[in-house]
Amino acid sequence: MIHLIKVTKKFEGETVALKEVALHIEPGEFVSIVGQSGSGKTTIIRLLIAEIRPTAGKIIIGGWDITDIKRRQIPILRRQIGVVFQDFKLLPKKTVFENVAFALQVSGSAKSRINKIVPQVLKIVDLEDKTGRYPQNLSGGEKQRVAIARALIHRPKILLADEPTGNLDALNSKDIIDLLLKINDFGTTVVLVTHNKDIVNSLRKRVITLERGVVIQDQKVGKYVL
Amino acid sequence: MLLVAIHRSVLFALQSFWRNFWLSLATIFIIFLAFVSINFLIFLSAVSDSAINAVKEKIDVSIYFKPDIRESKINEVKSHLETLSQVKEITYHSSAQNLESFTQRHASDAVISDTLKELAGNPLGATLIIKAKELSDYPEILKAVDNPAYNELIEEKNYDDHRVVIDRINSITNNIRRGGLIISLIFVIIAILIVFNTVRIAIFTHQNEISIMKLVGASNWFIRAPFILESIFSGVIACLLAVALVYPVLSFIQPHLANFFDGAAFDLVGYFNQRFLLIFGGQLLGIILLNIIASSLAIGKYLKV
Repeated sequence: MIHLIKVTKKFEGETVALKEVALHIEPGEFVSIVGQSGSGKTTIIRLLIAEIRPTAGKIIIGGWDITDIKRRQIPILRRQIGVVFQDFKLLPKKTVFENVAFALQVSGSAKSRINKIVPQVLKIVDLEDKTGRYPQNLSGGEKQRVAIARALIHRPKILLADEPTGNLDALNSKDIIDLLLKINDFGTTVVLVTHNKDIVNSLRKRVITLERGVVIQDQKVGKYVL
Repeated sequence: MLLVAIHRSVLFALQSFWRNFWLSLATIFIIFLAFVSINFLIFLSAVSDSAINAVKEKIDVSIYFKPDIRESKINEVKSHLETLSQVKEITYHSSAQNLESFTQRHASDAVISDTLKELAGNPLGATLIIKAKELSDYPEILKAVDNPAYNELIEEKNYDDHRVVIDRINSITNNIRRGGLIISLIFVIIAILIVFNTVRIAIFTHQNEISIMKLVGASNWFIRAPFILESIFSGVIACLLAVALVYPVLSFIQPHLANFFDGAAFDLVGYFNQRFLLIFGGQLLGIILLNIIASSLAIGKYLKV
């Protein structure tokens, strides 16, 4: 499903964020990428959504080589991958319903389809009774669930979660992780970037550990080792 | 698909316009001020043009014929002068008309009245009053009048007395027009810069939203269009407000302006009515173009996500 072939990413000033990283993630896997700040975890996510391009190496997603993806193809790629961010990235002047619907509107979905699918997805994340609220009137956990609903709206094969519990308390964090596991059970490949030791250890799933841009450990059923 | 995208863009633009009400209001207010400034300049230009024309209308050249010259001869001169492209109008005053108006003008002057009574006939000749199309046309007309064939017919021309005044008025009016144009240009440039920056600031406040839209898969045009439409809405509303303010103000000023022009009627509202499409249509078109350019440039910066 996801192939990173000897991917290197250098930023300005020759800072090496990733160094010859090779990864292969199978369809339906739940993978945690762990590492300290600056280890290159978020750089992987940014590469996978074509926000940045690799300096060297190849990135293939679902058979699509996105290494040199054209600008006009980026929106198409992003409609096929669900992404959840630490800071939620919700549109502040849109309601819960509109935030989720926006992801469908950008791809030209019909209003009838939007009106049918959005409530279904909001039900999955348990927000069906808060559709008319604006983000500022939601708790952190609720905001993240809206972000997950938005990420799921296209029924993506891959869900990338970049520190989704970073701004949440323990209880809300557990809810979000349970939700991600539920989504994974439906067959979606989930890539979780985190540095939360407890969460990683409780998952008992594959763990890839990064240090200074290099994969130092890749365990099928791993633990947070740093 | 295209219709759906257009419909959504309009809907998003209206939604954003309403939900960012205070920002929209501030943008409209600044564009409105720019419109008011430009209309004020148009008003000043109309008034100064009218004042210049009023002064010009008062200038003419009179040719006084000798009393014994027959009307047919004078008509010959008139016909010749009328062939000149510089001549706007020639008025003929007969010697009898001249005597009557002279008598009326000096009715209270006993010495003049007595002197006229003493004289047996009419001592005044006929007059041709010539108006040129432009002040600068008078020298050419006078050159034609200076024809040696007319020397025996003409007693006096008053152009030489007015030459300095006419030249000065000509120079002043030209300077006023030139100065007005420069001031207008400066004003328009300032207005453009202010509106340009207002639109940029309005979009700057949306930079996070723009990057979020990109991250969830919106195409550049899907993001751009609502912002451009929103800035067009602001321009249209500001233009309508400017129209709503300009007309009552013009109606209020009009009677005061009549006093300024010494009772001469100057139809300011009519001036704006006649040029409504040119003045407001031009401004609307200008602001739409300006908003499209400003918002396109401003958004472009935040689309590189």
